[in-house]
This record gives sequence, C-alpha cells and structure tokens, in this order.
Amino acid sequence: MLEVSDLRIGYGQVEVVHGVSFNVRKGECVALIGPNGAGKSTILKTVCGLMSPLGGSIMFGGRSTAGEPGHRIAGLGISMCPEGRQVFSEMTVMENLQLGAYTRRRSSIKDDLDEMMTLFPRLRERAGQDAGTLSGGEQEMVAIARALMARPKLCIFDEPSLGIAPRVVDEIEQTLLAIKARGVTILLVEQSVSMALRVADRGYVIEAGLIVLEGSSAELAGNKNVQNAYLGF
Amino acid sequence: MLIDFIQQIFNGLVVGSIYTLIALGLTTIFGIFGIAHFAHGSVAMFGGYLTYFLISALGIGLLPSFILAMAAGALLGIVLERVAYYPVRNAPPINSFIIALGLTLIIEKLNLLAFGVDQVIIPTPLVNVINVGGVTMPELRIYVLAIAAILVIGMTLLIQRTWIGMAVRAVAQNRAAAVLMGINVNSVSMFVFALSSALGVAAGVLVGALFAVAPGVSSGLVIKGFAVLILGGLGSIPGAIVGGMLLGVSEAFAAAFVSSAYKDVISFLLMILVLLVRPEGLMRRSSR
Ligand SMILES: Nc1ncnc2c1ncn2[C@@H]1O[C@H](COP(=O)(O)OP(=O)(O)OP(=O)(O)O)[C@@H](O)[C@H]1O
Ligand SMILES: [Mg+2]
Repeated sequence: MLEVSDLRIGYGQVEVVHGVSFNVRKGECVALIGPNGAGKSTILKTVCGLMSPLGGSIMFGGRSTAGEPGHRIAGLGISMCPEGRQVFSEMTVMENLQLGAYTRRRSSIKDDLDEMMTLFPRLRERAGQDAGTLSGGEQEMVAIARALMARPKLCIFDEPSLGIAPRVVDEIEQTLLAIKARGVTILLVEQSVSMALRVADRGYVIEAGLIVLEGSSAELAGNKNVQNAYLGF
Repeated sequence: MLIDFIQQIFNGLVVGSIYTLIALGLTTIFGIFGIAHFAHGSVAMFGGYLTYFLISALGIGLLPSFILAMAAGALLGIVLERVAYYPVRNAPPINSFIIALGLTLIIEKLNLLAFGVDQVIIPTPLVNVINVGGVTMPELRIYVLAIAAILVIGMTLLIQRTWIGMAVRAVAQNRAAAVLMGINVNSVSMFVFALSSALGVAAGVLVGALFAVAPGVSSGLVIKGFAVLILGGLGSIPGAIVGGMLLGVSEAFAAAFVSSAYKDVISFLLMILVLLVRPEGLMRRSSR
C-alpha cells in the first residue's frame, strides 16, 4: 500500500534523512522506532506532503505521491494524527471531528460522528467545548478521532502517548488496538517502544536518518540491541 | 436629552456598521496571512468609484451596479492575493508589509487614473426622512444599516456554518493541521481575499452614497478599520462587529456632545483605554 524507497529529506541545506526505504502492506500495523532526532517525524511529514523530499520515491496505492501537496495526499486517503496533537484549539470538539471528514464533505458524516463518540465517550460529553480547553489526553483523543473521521486507507500516528499521563497511555494503546482490529492500516511512531511493539506487526529502527534494523515485532523485541537501547533491560 | 442620546446611537451604528464591514475583511485577512492589508481602503474606494461609473456613465441601476462592483471587488481581491501576497507567503513578514504599502499606492493611483480626481456622490432615490418620536432617521441611513447588517450576518453565517467557513477558520488556527485535513490552503487564501474585498467594496459604496467617494477617503477608512481590529481583537470576527459599533457610536457621541473636531481624538483615546485594560482586545481570549 505504501512503498517508500531511498527517501532523502532535509531542512534547508541540511539533510537529516539519508535514504530510507520501508513499506506498509494493506491491513498491517508498522512501527518506526528510534531515538529523539532520528528523523521519524520528518519522514511522516514527508509522506503526508507537509514537506518535499530531496530524493527517493513514495508510492501510495500504486501512485507516486512524493512532493504532491498535502491536501491532495489527504484526499487520496492518508490521515495523520500529528506529533503534539495539533487540534484546532478555538473550535469545538465537534467541529474538529467534522474537519477530519473534510475530504468527505459531500457525503453524510452523521454516522461517523456517532461512531467516534461511541469509541470515545468522553468526547461526547465535551462535544460543544473548545478543543483547546481539554486535557492533553482528551486532546489526543480528539486528534485520533479527527484522523479516523476521514475513513483513511492509511492512518499515521506520530507519538500519540507523548506528554500524556501513564493511565491514559494504556487507554491510547487499547484504542490503537481497536483501530487495528477494524482493519485500518497503520503507520506508528511511538516513543514508548514496548507499546509500539505490542501494537505493531512489524517495525523499523531508525537512527540518525538511516534504517539500522527491521523485523517482526517479536524479532525486534528479542533483539539484544533493541532491548538495551529502548526496552530498558 | 434621551432623544439626543438615541439619535447619536442611531448615527453611530450607521457609521459603525461601515467600519465593521471594512474591519471584517481586514481581520479575516490578518487571521489567515498575518498581514496588515493597508490597500483595503483603496479597494473600497475602487468599488465606490466603479459603482458611480456604472450608474452615471452606463446607466445601470443602483442595485445591479452595487452587485457588479462587489463581484469586481472579489476578482480584484483574488488578483491581489495571487500577484502581490502569494509570492511572499513564506518570506519574512516585513516583505508583505512593504508590499501592502506599495499596493496601497498603486491602487490609489489607478483609481485616480481611471476615475479622475473629483469627489463623487453615488446617487440614490432614498431622500425621505423618517421621524420616530423625535429621532431623525433618513431613509438612506436606514438602508445603509440594513445592508451592512445583512452582509455582516451573511458573512458570519458563512464562516460559522459552512464547510468553506470552517476551512477558513482551520487555516487561521493551524495551517499544517488544516492541510492534513485535506484543505487546499491556496483556495482558502483566494476565497478569503475575494470575500474580504467584496465586503470592502460594499463599505466603499455605502460611504459613497452616504458621504462621498474621494481620493482621500481610503486612508481614513483603513485607519478606522485597524482601530476596530485593535479594539475587538486581531483576527476575531465578533471583535470586528463589536469594535466597529463601539467606535462608530463613541465617535457620534464625541461629535455631538464634545466637538466634532475632537471625534477622532476621543475614539483613539477609547482605543488606548481598551488596550490598557485588555491588551488582547475586547473579544479575544487572553490565552493567546
Ligand atoms: N523545522 C526544522 N528545522 C531544522 N531542523 C529540523 C526541524 N525539525 C527537525 N529538525 C532536525 O531534523 C532532525 C530529525 O528531526 P525529527 O523531528 O524528524 O526527529 P524525530 O525522530 O521525530 O524525533 P523525536 O523523537 O524527538 O520526535 C533533528 O536533527 C532535528 O533537529
Ligand atoms: Mg518526532
């Protein structure tokens, strides 16, 4: 479904991703893990069209999307739940969810809204409240629900547990598993590597803009280097 | 005394509604681009002149001329966005600031070239004066207030209740997230300039019918527009409405009860006062 090859990305003159290749197949959940500053968010932003790559290719559903504008990529069925949530803080929770379905604005989204409110009962209580007034965990739920409102073919999550209370992190893990169980294809970046490997089927380890290791979640969880660097054994 | 009081409120609301029309465009453009679109007053005057020209030279009726001028204003807005502001959208703010200043001069001079230096008054058949319990309400002023109210309410509904309006607010609040939603920021930018310029033209036509269209009027309009923005809060639509009315009414009171020579002084004192008490403007959340 998503095929990234030899992707190189930079900010200004500085290249930070030096030829990265990975793929995500339909129905899979794939994790990208690695230390701070490895280039994970940069890769995700480029897949979503918020940045243009310096080189390499991105194919989504058999079509090249590298360098396409972000709104067009969203229209092709890629949703992103960005790092730091990025909710529309002066709009209500309900409006945030509606905007998630912007690419489907010509069809009825009432059922989808209802479904999200069932998935996140707390959002139903807060539907009329400005998203900026919610707690971090609640805002993360808004961002996740907003991404799902597009009925994406591929849903990307960038550090959904960042800066969130441990109890709520469990909740987010359950939510990711529930989303996966619905058959949504997922690309996940997560600082909590143990959580990422519990949710994902496969993973890639990225360090300093290069993929240094790849394998199934079980293989990665059993790898000595991964255990030392990320799992705190 | 009470009659005088009501009379001045009426007068103030009429002028204030025009300030609001100007400020709505300025505030929406500021919200999306972060630019001070100084040329907005000249765009308004362009609309006033064009309406006068359509009526007097081509013999087109008042209402069709008004609507044609607003449509022309929308087109002009799109051209300004594409030609002037779009190329510097990623450059430091000083670039768009300088472009806004240059644009003001260019449109001002184009108005002079196209329509001459004379001041003109847009002719209307509205000459009756209604008297309600001692309050004098010229028919023309009632129409001005009504037209402005319809446009302001229409614009507010558009921004609050429609997909395109939601897209406009989304881009103003978080551009990257808006792109992720599938919103085409380019289309939204053009839409905002078209809508704002059409409203600016409407303000210019109302000014032209009520007072006059003249080369010097544009700078006055744009200064009042920015005063309203500062009063109400930058980027806030409710702020533009409340601020516009407040400025109009306080000017009317100042002119009637103090001296018309001091009306601008008093309205700017009001602005300073609001800034001292609420630096973020009347209708802006203090969290930002
Ligand atoms: N806007 C920017 N301008 C310049 N350099 C940037 C910018 N954003 C990120 N970088 C640099 O690019 C590199 C990769 O950053 P990126 O945000 O992709 O890392 P990450 O893997 O997502 O890290 P984290 O786990 O901290 O989110 C870092 O060295 C960072 O300093
Ligand atoms: Mg990151």
